[in-house]
Amino acid sequence: MLKSLKTFIQIHRSIKQHATLFSLIVVLFIFGLFLEAYMHDFNLVYITLFFVFSFAFSAGPIGVLNLGHLKSTFEPSGRLFTNQEGVISVKITNISNTTSWSVILYGEDSSINIPKVKEDSSLVVQLPYIPKKRGFFNYENCYLESRYPLSTARLTLPIKETYRGLVFPEPKGITLESFLNNEEKYYGEEKEFDGLKEYDGTQNITHIHWASVAKGELSVKHFTKETETQNLLFDFYRAGSNDEARLSQLCLWVLECEKKYLAFKIDMPKQQLDSKKENTDEILEKLAKY
Amino acid sequence: MKFLKNLLNIKQERKLSNLTLLDMAYVVSLLPLLVMLKAPMVLFMSIVLAILIFKKTPVSQKLIFFIFSIGVIAVYLSLYGAFSFRGLSRLKLFLELLVYILIIVVSMQRLTKEINFYLIISPFLFLALSLFFYHSITMLIYVIFEVFVLLWMILAHRMSGDLMESFRSTMVMFMYSLPWVVVLFIFFPRISFDHATYGFKGEIQKHTGHDGTMYIDGNALLVLSDRIVMEVGFDKEVPPASKLYFRGSTLYIDKKDHWEPLAKNSQDESRFFYPTNGIKTDYKVTLYPTQKKWLYMLDVPGMTIEDSLLNSDFISTVKKNIDEPMHYAASSYLTSSYKDTLNSTVYKASTYYDKSQNPETFLVAQDIIKIFHTKKERLSAITDFFKNQSLTYTLKPDALDINRSTDSFLFDKKRGYCVHFTSSFVTMARMVEIPSRIVTGFKADKSESLNSYLAVKGKNAHSWAELYIDKHWVRYETTATASNIDLDNQILATKNKNKNPLLKKINLYLMYTKYQVETWILYYSHIRQLQLLNYAKNNPKFIIIFVITFISLIILSFMTIVYFKRPSYSSEALAILQPLLKALKKRGYIREKDTSIHQFLLEYIEKNSHQVKHVETLKKIDILYEKILYSGDDSNKTKLELKKSVKSCLKLQYQKN
Repeated sequence: MLKSLKTFIQIHRSIKQHATLFSLIVVLFIFGLFLEAYMHDFNLVYITLFFVFSFAFSAGPIGVLNLGHLKSTFEPSGRLFTNQEGVISVKITNISNTTSWSVILYGEDSSINIPKVKEDSSLVVQLPYIPKKRGFFNYENCYLESRYPLSTARLTLPIKETYRGLVFPEPKGITLESFLNNEEKYYGEEKEFDGLKEYDGTQNITHIHWASVAKGELSVKHFTKETETQNLLFDFYRAGSNDEARLSQLCLWVLECEKKYLAFKIDMPKQQLDSKKENTDEILEKLAKY
Repeated sequence: MKFLKNLLNIKQERKLSNLTLLDMAYVVSLLPLLVMLKAPMVLFMSIVLAILIFKKTPVSQKLIFFIFSIGVIAVYLSLYGAFSFRGLSRLKLFLELLVYILIIVVSMQRLTKEINFYLIISPFLFLALSLFFYHSITMLIYVIFEVFVLLWMILAHRMSGDLMESFRSTMVMFMYSLPWVVVLFIFFPRISFDHATYGFKGEIQKHTGHDGTMYIDGNALLVLSDRIVMEVGFDKEVPPASKLYFRGSTLYIDKKDHWEPLAKNSQDESRFFYPTNGIKTDYKVTLYPTQKKWLYMLDVPGMTIEDSLLNSDFISTVKKNIDEPMHYAASSYLTSSYKDTLNSTVYKASTYYDKSQNPETFLVAQDIIKIFHTKKERLSAITDFFKNQSLTYTLKPDALDINRSTDSFLFDKKRGYCVHFTSSFVTMARMVEIPSRIVTGFKADKSESLNSYLAVKGKNAHSWAELYIDKHWVRYETTATASNIDLDNQILATKNKNKNPLLKKINLYLMYTKYQVETWILYYSHIRQLQLLNYAKNNPKFIIIFVITFISLIILSFMTIVYFKRPSYSSEALAILQPLLKALKKRGYIREKDTSIHQFLLEYIEKNSHQVKHVETLKKIDILYEKILYSGDDSNKTKLELKKSVKSCLKLQYQKN
């Protein structure tokens, strides 16, 4: 019993309470009922009044216990890029044996509605987040809020932990494909099927489309690219007009290369980044920290 | 219960929208007000309801305006005649108008299918307004139900429309609040403003067997009704049966077929002294609508009831007919005689008789006068004469000859009930020069009492004689002179006695409960509060009982809270396993969400294979669990076995620890 009381006091201290508009309505309703009961000696009104009063009174501890048993921790989130919507993951654990209801997780500039967190369980919620600049950042001032049970009070439970994350440069610029088209040297063995063309005797016979031959036509496969380059090298200084533009461009190419499983190198001032030696995240981190 | 559970489960699956929850709140809060709605408003509400049922999309502005117009017409027609600016000063009419306006506004907003702030708070306004109109036990029960449902709907809204879970939470919150409500209700300071009398009367039926006159012909007011006329709560115990005479009216004038009181003016002087002999008893009366002016007090009244007149014959009346339950505190001296002086009017009235009307009785009276000289002797002689006449008490008497009613009763028919006995006795008493009169009222039946509670029913209406002897008015029970009781009556009495004594007892207990609820809840007041405190001051035992009762209430609330707060499991078997799973969790073995019980236990067994006994029990638990869950064996025997195994497993674990 004493232990429970101690726990409750601890929980109570960690939660902030703010009155809502509905608390004013309840006060007015209680006052109205009080007048009705007092002026006319109506015991039924007294009973209603006392019920409303007791509900409002018990709503406090019920709301505190509803929210107070929730523990929140930041989870490793996905990649975050400047000016692009990403997510901050928060793991919410309910350590009590009763379900917590109607909770809202507030981030720095977004919120997520969580209808319930079942007893003895946890869930991961993702807060949308758009970073404004690259580099390390601290995500803080997050809190859980609940108006359970009567909406008369807004209870908030701050998440004391601060999330330290890294924002990569905004991936933007010309696409890898455009870049490669403009390059003198072709890279890799790349064939991109564009459609069928009529055979005029000049094309490579290995490109003959045999299925059309069977139909009585003689077509050849036409490819937009038939390139073969051995090295894919991005140069920092040639990637853009200023540092931020360069980093954004490189970031875009790095992501595209990752997507296409292409090996690449980046010539950075004083160092070279090699995808065969470092993984994409490490390369992106270096770009972010530049 | 099971049906309700099923219903809630069904609802749980589909979860109710906020609009549906709001509709449910409206149904509950409007229900009591529906009774008072006038036909045009009922029609208006039916139209709105029909639109809501058949039109699934929000209605157009034009239709809303049309509905508004119909609403205004409905209000006009409902209050037509009653409405005027002057009428607004009458609170009831004003409140009625408020209810109508609120219904129209709510209907218009509801038709848009959009929830706004006013739509949310209106059910609570309807609740507050309905409390103005009703004040009964039914409403008390309904108000508690209504408060519960409204809380339920609020919580259901907060819990995404989950009815079952919100019901559990509502029960928890309700039980948290209950002890507070009880404490506040008892101790919250009250003031002694009078209880407002406005509201709907409803009750127009009279509940009495007593009337201001007493007919002895076919118009005789013979009420065999079991309806309660009044309920009496004595401050101490219920007095003996022989003292339960409730005084109604005094009759002096013999009008052949009936007896009448004296003309108004002659009895209007107020009683300013009270008898001092007899045991003083205090009691409180709840008098149900009689549509008459009499208030009933035990013979002989020892005080004047507030706002009433007690005349020189100890008859208590109010100015207006009693058309709604009335509550009054009274005090009486339980005596069958009291000292009084006779003024000339009363003396004349109480000695008057027409000797030509009942010549046979007159002749007997003359003989008595000749032989006996004192009033007491003459009274004794009349009693003997009545007894010698072999009179029969019956509720089915033969019709008397009204022109000579006393002669007809005493010499011819010889059958009658209280009115016939009293009428004849008073006539003969006057003939032997004893001033006498008839008193009508109620003679309560003590078998209708429980603890300090007494119910007085219509069938307890009675009349008796009062004789002026030695400057005292003396009560005389005239039916005691009956030599026989009619066989039918006896059978009826025996039947009543034997007819389901258990039912009678239950009925009495129900009446008693109802009375106590009315006294201590509905009409609990500043006076009751003081009375309770004073009683507590003088009775430490009462304080102990009160504290124990309150603690019991807290325990009951706590148990209910624990019951409704318990986690819900997907199966009963899983619920049985919970103590074991908790114990294992304490030891660091936590079952992940996706791990089956079988898998979890196997993993545990593998890691603890050296604990042979413990492992054996766990294996048994595993088998039993599988058997219940997957082999369809959900018999109590298997469940009990599983429970036992869990217990023994826990025991083994504690022993090990």
